[in-house]
Amino acid sequence: MDLKRLARDGVFTAVAVVIFVIELQIPELLPIPGVKLGLANTVTLAALFLLGPADAGAILACRILLGGVLGGNLMAVVYSAAGGAAAYLTALFLRGHVTERQIWVVSVFSALAHSLGQMAAAVAVTATPSLVLYLPAMLAASVVTGLLTGFAAQFAVARLGKIRRR
Amino acid sequence: MVKTKIWVFLILAILVIAAAASALVLTRPAAGRVARIYVDGELVREVDLDRVAAQERYTVRTDRGENVILLEPGRIRVESADCPDQICVKAGWLADSAAPIVCLPHRLVIELGGETELDAEAG
Repeated sequence: MDLKRLARDGVFTAVAVVIFVIELQIPELLPIPGVKLGLANTVTLAALFLLGPADAGAILACRILLGGVLGGNLMAVVYSAAGGAAAYLTALFLRGHVTERQIWVVSVFSALAHSLGQMAAAVAVTATPSLVLYLPAMLAASVVTGLLTGFAAQFAVARLGKIRRR
Repeated sequence: MVKTKIWVFLILAILVIAAAASALVLTRPAAGRVARIYVDGELVREVDLDRVAAQERYTVRTDRGENVILLEPGRIRVESADCPDQICVKAGWLADSAAPIVCLPHRLVIELGGETELDAEAG
């Protein structure tokens, strides 16, 4: 394996894990399960646009596993893996339909997909269909958080052009 | 490439619809006054809130952690829990809403519903 690529992806993963762990320290703003800013997603998005799908997917998977271990909440791995996979696939699909000035659009739709995936996992794990009553609130919050993290990712991509995969 | 204007319109539409739907759905009244406590989707306790006479604490312990549930006449809440997000505690009292109290890390759900036939007989 290309050592430069390994080192670069390792740095992305480290940044994502640190952002994730710092975000855990911020108290939940809304008493609605599953609503959070999701800042670590900026790294996945930036990686997708700068490094490509394979690297972004690997960085995402490592971040979810390491984040679950460091956060001490292994159940969270199940919910965030379901949400993360849905968000990743959505971003992958939309990537070809936007310019690098529209990364925030990809982010909003992948935040929406994250909520849907997470909700599906939560309903399956707790066997409680009435959890979907929270889905509209989660989706509304996802639009807002997706915009914020999306613009963060877009600014990062604009400034990190040099490490783009050649 | 789709024009930014179209994306903005689409995203705003989703936001407005989702916000309106959540206002409708979260204020929906419960089907009844029987609180059911589930862990892993299995019923662990069932209480008719109208028959709670005095304050009572009920602790649900699993190998994932514990939730201390407080029962009062007509209402129920999670008083404290050792889960990382504390969302179940912040959800506050559940008295007449269909939206359940959830502790995702502990897979605990408290939901209001109607009486079952079994309750009617027992009562």
